Amino acid sequence: MTAPLYIALRFATHRKRALLLSLVGVVFGVGIFICTQAQTQGFAQFFINSTIGSNGALVLRSRFQPRYEGMVVSAKSASSAPAHRNYFEGITNVSEIMRVSRQFSNVVACTPVLRGTISARAGFETTTAELFGIDPASHLRTTDLAKQIVDGRFDDFRNNTTSVIVGYRLADLLQVNSGGTVQLLSPGGEYWRFNVAAIARSGVGTVDASRIYAHARVAQRLLKKPFEASMIIYKLRDPDRAPALASHFENLFQHGAQSWQEREEGNLQIFSTLRMSAAITVSLIILLAGFGIFNVLTMSVLSKIREIAILRSMGYRRIDISAIFLWQGALIAAVGSVFGCILGALLTWGISKVPIHIRGLLYTNHFLVVWDWRHYFWATLLAIVAVFIASYVPAHRAAQLQPVDTLRGSSL
Amino acid sequence: MKGELSLSCSDIERYLGEEESRVHALRGVSLDLESGSVHAVVGPSGCGKSTLLYILGLLDEPDAGSVEIGSTPISHLRDEELARRRNELIGFIFQFHFLMEDFSAQENVMIPMRRLGRMNETEMGERAAALLEAVDLGDKLRRQSRHLSGGEQQRVAIARALANDPSVILADEPTGNLDTVNSQRAFELLANLVREREKALLLVTHNRFIADACDWVHEMKDGRIIASHPRGQRISV
Repeated sequence: MTAPLYIALRFATHRKRALLLSLVGVVFGVGIFICTQAQTQGFAQFFINSTIGSNGALVLRSRFQPRYEGMVVSAKSASSAPAHRNYFEGITNVSEIMRVSRQFSNVVACTPVLRGTISARAGFETTTAELFGIDPASHLRTTDLAKQIVDGRFDDFRNNTTSVIVGYRLADLLQVNSGGTVQLLSPGGEYWRFNVAAIARSGVGTVDASRIYAHARVAQRLLKKPFEASMIIYKLRDPDRAPALASHFENLFQHGAQSWQEREEGNLQIFSTLRMSAAITVSLIILLAGFGIFNVLTMSVLSKIREIAILRSMGYRRIDISAIFLWQGALIAAVGSVFGCILGALLTWGISKVPIHIRGLLYTNHFLVVWDWRHYFWATLLAIVAVFIASYVPAHRAAQLQPVDTLRGSSL
Repeated sequence: MKGELSLSCSDIERYLGEEESRVHALRGVSLDLESGSVHAVVGPSGCGKSTLLYILGLLDEPDAGSVEIGSTPISHLRDEELARRRNELIGFIFQFHFLMEDFSAQENVMIPMRRLGRMNETEMGERAAALLEAVDLGDKLRRQSRHLSGGEQQRVAIARALANDPSVILADEPTGNLDTVNSQRAFELLANLVREREKALLLVTHNRFIADACDWVHEMKDGRIIASHPRGQRISV
C-alpha cells in the first residue's frame, strides 16, 4: 500500500459522517441512473422487438421507375430540387427478388405480404382494418406471429384458408374470440365470412388495433389486387444494419425499401428523448453528489492543513499530498459505484415487478426493464468522472499549500 | 568546530511579506552544522530564527545565498527532489509536536518511513518500536497520540524525526510547550540521541538553560547572527 493511500484511508475514516453522506449521494446517483436507463430502454427495446417481430426489420415495397437523371437536360429556369419518384403499387417478380435477397448474409428469412385496407364487421361492430395476406409457412419463419397468439392456434389458421388471425385490440373492439366469425368487406361491396382461428397480440398498439391476417391467395381475391405481394418483409441477423441493406436493396431491386429505424423514427425519437431526459435528471443527482464530495474534501483539506504541512516537512511531495485527497475521492467513487450498482440492480428488479396497465403504443401489464451491463458501466464511469472532478480542486489546493505558512503561523 | 559537515548555508537573504509589509527576515546568514554537534539559535521573537530553520530544512527557499548538504548545493533543486532530500536527510521537531491525532505513536513514527519506501510493514513497525523504546515510550506504541501527555507527544515527535535516520535534525522550540522537567528531559534525550548517532542538531530555543547545554549557541538579532559561542560562554538572551 502506498503512503498516500494509507494516509487517505486514515483521513477518510476520521470524517465518517461526512464521508457517509458523500457515499450515499454517489450510491443513489449510480443506482437511480441504472434503474432509469433500464426502464426507459426496457420500454424502447420491447417496442423495437415487437415491431420487428410483427413488421420485420426491413420491408421492400412498391416498385419505382428509374429516373435516369444523368440523361436529363434541365431547363435554365428549372428548379434544382430532384423530382419525386414514381411508384407503382406491388412487387414485381416476387420469387426472384426473394431468391436473390436470401443470398445476403444478413437476411435470415423473408416473406411476401399482400396488404390492403378493408372494413371488418362482427355482430353489430364495424371498423376499418388492415388486411395482411400472408404465406403462413414463410411468415412464421420471418416474424413472431406464432409467439404472439394469445387465443386459438396458429395451426388452425394454417390448415384452413377461410380463417383469419385477428389483432388483440381489434378482436376486443369487434368482440370476437377464436372460433368466432368475422366478415370482411371486399372492394366490390360484398362481405366475405371468415372463421377466427386465433387472436394475436404483438404488444404494439397500432398493429394490435388494426391487423387481420388472412391467407395470401384469399386476400388477393378479396382485395382484387392484380399482384401477389405489395411488400416483402425481412428478418435480419443484425437489425442494426437494416438501413444500409435497405439502401442497397433499393438500388438493386428498384423497389422502395424501408428499414425499421426509418419506419419507427418518430417513436424511436420519443424513447430516445425520454432516455436522455432521464439520464440528464439522474446525472444531476450525481452532480449534486459531486458537489457534496467537493465540500467534504474541501473541509477535509481545511481541517488537515497542519497535517499537510507536517507531511511536507517529512518529505511528502506535492503529488503525494494531492494523491491523498484524490485517493479519498477514488475510494468514495469505488465504494459508491459498487453499492450503487447493487442498488441499481435491486431497484431494476423491484421496478420490473411493479404492475402497470399500458394499452396505448405498447401493451404491457408490468414495467419493462432491460438488463444491460453498459448501464452499469456508464453509471460507474459517470460517478468516477464526477468524483474525480470534485476531488481534483481540493486535492490541487492541498498540494499548493505552503507548509512554511502553516508552521510559521503555529510556532512564531 | 569538529566533525563531518552535514548542512551549511551561506549569505542567506530572505524577505517575507509583500510590498509595504515586506520584512527583511534574514540578512546574509551563514551557518555550518557538523555531525555529532548540537547547535542552538537564540534571539528575540521575530529575529528570523524559524525562517533560518525552514530554509535549512528545505521547506523555504532563500531569496539569495545557498544551502548545501555535505558539499552539494541544493537550492536549485526541484520541489520533488527537495522533498526526497528532506525525507532522507532531515528530521523536523516542532514546538507543538504536530502528530497525527488519529494515528498511534507507532504509526506516527512510521509516516516518514512510508514515504521513504525502503522497508516493509513489519520492518517499519519494528524500527518505530525501537525508536519509541529509545525515548521511553516502548509501552505506549499503540496508544493514539491524542491520548498521550504533552511530554510523551514530544518524545514521539523526537522518535519520528529520527525515523529515516537523518543526518540533520532541526527543532523549532521543541521544549517551548513543555514544563521545566519535561523540557529538560526531552532536550537531554534529543541531545544524547544526536551525539550517540552522530547526527547534527540545530534547535531554536528561548530556554537559556537548554541553550547553555548545546555545543554552539548562535545569537540572532534583526535577521543576522550577531555572535556564535561554544559551550560554556555566557550568552546575552
